[in-house]
Amino acid sequence: MKSVSIIDYGMGNLLSMQRALEKNGARVLIASNPEQILQADKLVLPGVGAFPDGMAELEKRNMVAAIHEYVKSGKTLLGVCLGMQMLFEESEEIQPTLGLGLIQGKVVKFPEKQQNGSINKIPHVAWTQIEPVEISWEQTFLRSITPGTFLYFVHSYYANPASKLNLLAQSPFGDFHFCSAAIHENVWGTQFHPEKSGETGLNLIREFLN
Amino acid sequence: MTAKRIIARLDVKGDRLIKGVHLEGWRFLGNPNDYCRKYYHEGIDEIIYVDAVASLYSRDHIKEIIKQTTSDVFVPITAGGGIKSVEDAYEILRCGADKVAVNTAAFKRPELITEIANRFGVQCMVISIQAKKNSTGKYMACYDSAREYTNTDVIEWAKEAVERGAGEILLTSVDQEGTMKGMDTELIGLVSSAVNVPVIACGGFAQPTDFVSSVQAGADAVAIARALHYEHVRIGDIRDQAIQNQIPVRGA
Amino acid sequence: MIAHQSKALHGLPEKVIFCKRCVINNQRPNTSREFVKKDTRIDTVGFGEDGICDACRWFEEKKKIDWADRERQLKDLCDRFRRNDGRYDVIVPSSGGKDSFFVAHQLKYKYGMNPLTVTWAPHRYTDVGWHNFQSMIDAGFDNILITPNGKVHGILTRLAFENLVNPFQPFIIGQKNVAPRMALQFGVPLIMYGENHAEAHNKIGENYSPLMNIEHFTRESNEADLYFGGVHEKDLHQFGISENDLLLYKPLLAEPIRKAGIEVHYYSFYYNWSPQENYYYAMEHSQFQPNPDGRSEGTYSKFASLDDKVDGQHYYTMYIKFGQGRAMNDACRDIRDGFISREEGVELLNKYDGEFPRKYFQEFLDYTELTEERYWEVIDGARSPHLWEKKSGNWVLKYKAE
Repeated sequence: MKSVSIIDYGMGNLLSMQRALEKNGARVLIASNPEQILQADKLVLPGVGAFPDGMAELEKRNMVAAIHEYVKSGKTLLGVCLGMQMLFEESEEIQPTLGLGLIQGKVVKFPEKQQNGSINKIPHVAWTQIEPVEISWEQTFLRSITPGTFLYFVHSYYANPASKLNLLAQSPFGDFHFCSAAIHENVWGTQFHPEKSGETGLNLIREFLN
Repeated sequence: MTAKRIIARLDVKGDRLIKGVHLEGWRFLGNPNDYCRKYYHEGIDEIIYVDAVASLYSRDHIKEIIKQTTSDVFVPITAGGGIKSVEDAYEILRCGADKVAVNTAAFKRPELITEIANRFGVQCMVISIQAKKNSTGKYMACYDSAREYTNTDVIEWAKEAVERGAGEILLTSVDQEGTMKGMDTELIGLVSSAVNVPVIACGGFAQPTDFVSSVQAGADAVAIARALHYEHVRIGDIRDQAIQNQIPVRGA
Repeated sequence: MIAHQSKALHGLPEKVIFCKRCVINNQRPNTSREFVKKDTRIDTVGFGEDGICDACRWFEEKKKIDWADRERQLKDLCDRFRRNDGRYDVIVPSSGGKDSFFVAHQLKYKYGMNPLTVTWAPHRYTDVGWHNFQSMIDAGFDNILITPNGKVHGILTRLAFENLVNPFQPFIIGQKNVAPRMALQFGVPLIMYGENHAEAHNKIGENYSPLMNIEHFTRESNEADLYFGGVHEKDLHQFGISENDLLLYKPLLAEPIRKAGIEVHYYSFYYNWSPQENYYYAMEHSQFQPNPDGRSEGTYSKFASLDDKVDGQHYYTMYIKFGQGRAMNDACRDIRDGFISREEGVELLNKYDGEFPRKYFQEFLDYTELTEERYWEVIDGARSPHLWEKKSGNWVLKYKAE
């Protein structure tokens, strides 16, 4: 049985992620301190809330260095929603705050208006389609997803990878597309919530576990 | 493309699913989790649990219900009813809910909206607004499961709530609620055009065309209770109707 | 030897106890023959040695009832009285409220009867009450509305308030008479009420029969002494009411009632009665509306007793006299029906019970020509010292349910 650890830093819906992993046959552990992070076979960084709070909580628990060390070991880290945003260098949410810097790029707010003046509804709370950009999903954890499938998003900020090599999937918002999934070697991220995206999401989690 | 959402709304009391009319009455329908599972397998986009606690205390049942739901339902869950503080919201989110819906406590102390939004993010903070048309045709806000009626204009309240940090509005028409006599598209239009956050319209859903008219009036999602619980309408039929009218929905 | 002087007014038991199952206290009055009442004294509902009240005990017993058999009895009853020639075959006393609507609708559309709905007007119709009354008629019923002389009714209301602290008495008295009176008039021997008040109020023994005892609306002879508003019928002229103004309030003579074979039944004998289900039923089959102002004053519910502006005073005076307000009544019912727990009932009644009915207070004063000062004088005079005490200048109930 595969074992997965979910980082508990006081933010995020651990239970839903846990259930989704268990539904796919994983043994789920909760990592509430640096040691448990290092010992994880696979690691999930969940997140619901604001970026500055998220980073502050990680720092408070001395988890930042542990996460870096874990990633260096080559084991897989999956960041979800705020968790994915924190993989990046910095976010402008509330005040400019540094992230984990595991993927290059910044996190910015959705624009309030489109080019033609129409107003965007923020936060982006919706089932929205994801599509590949330049990277084929075949060799990635998105292989089970058909391009154009709807997944569940709920966020006001999005990550902007500096390199297209990290842009795993994109989704439409207003009159442009934003990064809905990112990848950098063993560091993966989904802006959407796979644990809340029905069977499609569960299949993605299965791929993550394999 | 962003899909418009079809949401199931389950009013619970204790450990039971109930359904009232105009938010009055506690007729018992069954085990909420049974209904939830069924809707999930039929393709529901989201679940909203409302705890119809008459005396605003004792929320243990709803926490158990949410926890149970997360075992086999993998779509977003919003929970509300009697949430009075950031701690209450935390407890609910900890059980597996993704968003909290607040009405009475926010109405009495609007600072709570900001406190919850700051702690958990605006996307977690759904302001639940119960609207009733008064004799002059204006929509006034109600609270306490529509037991208390006020003179506060719903549009003004919606704007204020969003300014304070609400990321979404759950808009219930008290006049239509539980009647299956159609949605109040005038109300939906007024609120949707006044704010820049998603609006979930609720109250009076009777048939698939109500989904279309609500979305066309400005709703981003429609929450359905009686029509689903009493099997008057199928989720698949709502989806088909949406597609026929060029409204993007999941699975299309 | 000093005789023990009871501190309790109205003949109430001095020791206040609360039912262990619902939240009613033992100060609950039985319904009684109003037209012989000279003062505020009443009989109270029984409590067992186990601390459970008769109403709860009855609800336990109700669970053993074979409702299929009861329905068979109802069908037999209907078969016995049904007329298929256009004449009415059952009188349904109706306010236009959810309960009487349910009874009338079921009798007509399920059991093929031809009901005449008969309405004794409330003291003062509320807008929603009138709407619901019309909505009932529009759902398909003939109706006779009897409205008493407004002047007389207003005077009686004031007298009843001052002497009995029961402003609702004129309504109660007239209501009991109107159905049998119409029954005689139209030659319809069957009358069907909704809920037997024994369910909640009376001695448990009265629940075993479907029939209302005719003594509630009759007297054996014209010689009996009658009191209205606590005043003897012959003394009412002092207040501007002549004996000839009292036709609608006087009980009928028993003999003609017996001779006509008039039977007064309770639907709750034949059907597992639920006020809440009646609300749903009324919503589904008519344009019935709940309280347009949200919850009714003094309680948390929206669908009961909506038609009379004096309703609020009715419940408030019960609260003053017996420590039992509207919320307590609703909560006890909901506890017995299994909708809420006792703890929740306690929370609800502590939150809402005894809320002053402000909305129609001025209208009540105008209607009865009472000054506000006199109103409070009567109210405060009705607070029994065994129930009430003054704390920091405010009246507070000595015993609260917990």
